[in-house]
Amino acid sequence: MALREFKLPDVGEGVAEGEIVDWLVEEGDTVTEDQPVAEVETDKAVVEVPSPYNGTVKQIHYPAGEVVKVGSVIVTFEIPDEAGDSEAAEPVVEEGAGAPEAEDATDAGTAESEAPSSSGRTFAPPSVRRLARELGVDLSTVSGSGPSGRVTEGDVRQAAEGGEREDESELTDAVERVEEDAEDAVERMDEEVEAEVPLGEQAAEHAEREKTLAAPATRKLAADEGVDLNAVPTDEERDGEAFVSPEAVTQYARAQREAKAAEERAESSSASATASSASAGEERVESRPYRGIRRTIGKQMAKSKYTAPHVSHHDTVDISDLVEVRAELKERAAEQDVKLTYLPFIMKAVVAALKENPILNSELREDDEEVLVKHYYNIGIAVATDAGLMVPVVKRVDEKGILELAEEVNELAAKARDRSITREEMQGGTFTLTNFGAIGGEYATPIINYPETAILGLGAIDERPVAEDGEVYARPTLPLSLSIDHRVIDGAEGAAFTNKVMEYLNNPTLLLLE
Amino acid sequence: MVVGDVATGTELAVVGAGPGGYVAAIRAAQLGVDTTLIEKDELGGTCLNVGCIPSKALIHATNVGYEADTAEEMGIHADVKVDMEQMVDWKDGVVDQLTSGVEKLCKANGVNIVHGRAEFAGENRLRVAHGGEGQGSETIEFEQCVVATGSRPIEIPGFAYDDDPVLDSTQLLALEQVPRSLVVVGGGYIGMELSTILAKMGCDVTVVEMMDDILPGYEEDVKRVVRKRAEELGVDFYFGQAAKGWERADDAGIVVTTENEDGEESTFDAEKAFVAVGRQPVLDTLNLDAAGLEPNEQGRLETDHTGETNVDGIFAIGDVAPGPQLAHKASKEGQVVAEVVAGEPAAMDYQAVPAAVFTDPEIATVGLTQAEAEEEGFTPAVGKFPFSASGRALTTNDHEGFVRIVADGDSGFILGAQIVGPEASELIAELGLAVEMGATLEDIAATIHTHPTLSEGVMEAAEHALGHAIHTLNR
Repeated sequence: MALREFKLPDVGEGVAEGEIVDWLVEEGDTVTEDQPVAEVETDKAVVEVPSPYNGTVKQIHYPAGEVVKVGSVIVTFEIPDEAGDSEAAEPVVEEGAGAPEAEDATDAGTAESEAPSSSGRTFAPPSVRRLARELGVDLSTVSGSGPSGRVTEGDVRQAAEGGEREDESELTDAVERVEEDAEDAVERMDEEVEAEVPLGEQAAEHAEREKTLAAPATRKLAADEGVDLNAVPTDEERDGEAFVSPEAVTQYARAQREAKAAEERAESSSASATASSASAGEERVESRPYRGIRRTIGKQMAKSKYTAPHVSHHDTVDISDLVEVRAELKERAAEQDVKLTYLPFIMKAVVAALKENPILNSELREDDEEVLVKHYYNIGIAVATDAGLMVPVVKRVDEKGILELAEEVNELAAKARDRSITREEMQGGTFTLTNFGAIGGEYATPIINYPETAILGLGAIDERPVAEDGEVYARPTLPLSLSIDHRVIDGAEGAAFTNKVMEYLNNPTLLLLE
Repeated sequence: MVVGDVATGTELAVVGAGPGGYVAAIRAAQLGVDTTLIEKDELGGTCLNVGCIPSKALIHATNVGYEADTAEEMGIHADVKVDMEQMVDWKDGVVDQLTSGVEKLCKANGVNIVHGRAEFAGENRLRVAHGGEGQGSETIEFEQCVVATGSRPIEIPGFAYDDDPVLDSTQLLALEQVPRSLVVVGGGYIGMELSTILAKMGCDVTVVEMMDDILPGYEEDVKRVVRKRAEELGVDFYFGQAAKGWERADDAGIVVTTENEDGEESTFDAEKAFVAVGRQPVLDTLNLDAAGLEPNEQGRLETDHTGETNVDGIFAIGDVAPGPQLAHKASKEGQVVAEVVAGEPAAMDYQAVPAAVFTDPEIATVGLTQAEAEEEGFTPAVGKFPFSASGRALTTNDHEGFVRIVADGDSGFILGAQIVGPEASELIAELGLAVEMGATLEDIAATIHTHPTLSEGVMEAAEHALGHAIHTLNR
């Protein structure tokens, strides 16, 4: 049997790290090639990572919930020897054998992150230099997290993602991990459950051997980490004796440190829990991780808000006729098993208005100094999911009928909610609709789905007073909130667009002409 | 354009099928680029036909004979007889096998091969004259072009290669008889490689060199090992001597006249003269003007980091591009430009271009020397291991030379290495990888090397630089 290490692959363009949401296999399981072994959530989506081998799962290197950098070894597989491969008795490591992983090195406390030399030369392996070219990263600006400051694949991806310095982001990660651990600890205290962290568990699990085999470098590492080699748990054997790898030492040392830290935190939170119960728990706070999709949404929102000067335009439209039309068509649609909401009508009205006011269906390319006006209509629909806001895109809305749109919106929204939606299904939008009225409320300031230049927000459809010929009537109305990028679109254009949308919604038979 | 001459269109035209050109063509074709490879002679270029491969074949064959002949110390008594004609036939067989292999690979990858001499007829047009009377010519219109025409031996005034007793390296490698004596003009790597084998074949070799030492560009202690060995083989050196002219001697031999810086003349008799004063890029046959190209002062085409010249879509690689004239450098450049042409994010990446000289003993270098490292602002840590301390070298009775590793003293990163000694050309690969990977002295020292091998010397040199060598004294 031979061992093969499997590194977290690049699960999406430009993704530097991912959170292991769930392991779909356990150590000892037999797997076949392409069988999904883990679910990994990146800041873009949740994806399943398939096994590259037929074999058994020898070791899982990270517990579920851990954020792992692309390129880190996540699983070791044991695979049957290839016929005639007499050297396979030795554990072999796929590609980059022995290349120290940034994380391991950091954990072992051996990384020196200062610039490698006075000459300004950057030290990085050829594969990393090529990756840098592919991602357009200037290597000389990347600070390396590898041994002696060598630039790793992860460093380059990190740099490509946002120019963040690796050490800063690692710090952030570390802080996040600590925060999470703290949260875990508090929750455990609350539930009066005994500490049961996977790492803590490993720490608690001491081996008690009399003899342990290990490479000299591993012995040194153990000495540096203050770890007793005979206490490090291992499944590996050499010549019938237990064999400990440097990874096992690192992991054990880390587990011990974290267990100790958790113990200390537990002690202090126990003290504060007592204190807070005395003050009726008034000052209790809860820390939640800010990462994955939530962090992506945050970044995107901030980028949009601080890049595009937003101007909002509000109005309300009387949709009495639309309510009638929809009620009528809803039953017909139901016969075809389609749930008909107001959204397809609004999408149609929006596209009709965009055709008359094309500047709202545009994108500003600052670098090229041009505004791209699009003559196709892909409408993004913001959907609230448990994980946060996602924006599936309905393509070519102008070419589709109301029922077709209804079906597609329902399907995409469902996919967004169960997070099976693909990146492609969230790309290529030209204008976005957001329905904040679903829960109630009238007006808001929608944030533009940058680099688009406009977004229309929908308030709650409700009966509101409408004045007509000096009389006040209760009519079903829809509040509209339009945000525009004032660099590209002027207020008058925004108002003209909104008026058009209102005209179509107020008189839905006009949509027949579209 | 001739009336009725219809240009053939191709996405990529590669001019020259040497180790740069054919690699570029194959790689481009692999990436889906419609590629035409144009070659005036045999596929494989200088390297396969008249350079690396035939010279290394002869060096190896000669060494086999020489070692058998000189192994009495080990108890081997042989009466070696060298049949030079047969040896050359064998060498030609090796060359044929390789060149036909290149042709097969080109065809299998869908490269369109055109035989003929190409010249530019515009910024996107080549005129290819087919060899031989009445063979005609054709026009090839390209979207992008790679110039890979390589180099030819430099001729010095008064020493035309057409004259019988004056030989260039190609002619020397084709000799079917070992000359009794030879004057070698030039002590560079080609001169030294061929001087060494001829001396081993029993030829009386005299090297005249204009500079004051052999192998310009190599460090003194490296040169010393090679020079000493050559002298042991009977090679005579005369430095500071510029070749001035020659005349035929009475006994059908040659008398070469040289002149030192004071104007004093000397004469050297031999059966033949071999001129090895370097190689110059071949660009003069290409009608560069038509494409808007112009060689720089070194007679080469300037290129950017993607290998592209100042004319959009025209690239230059190998000996016609800047940098050392090495087949492996040309091949790597060929791969890079092919990828650039196919739209991939490739770029020239000269972290470590190894070089090897197949003298006895071999020399191989990669990356920076100690002096170069200092110039670049490093404080180098240097470790050295002499082959005289290597068990393996002693078992082969070949223990001249050393391994030297130059690293950054602060971080331990390997910056370069120089090896002179047995199998230096093979041993350098590990250190090339080390430079590329950003490996440190610690990485090499901690890597277990097979015993007993010469490669242990690499590990020992790294340990020496770290101050804990076992088999040599640490400074």
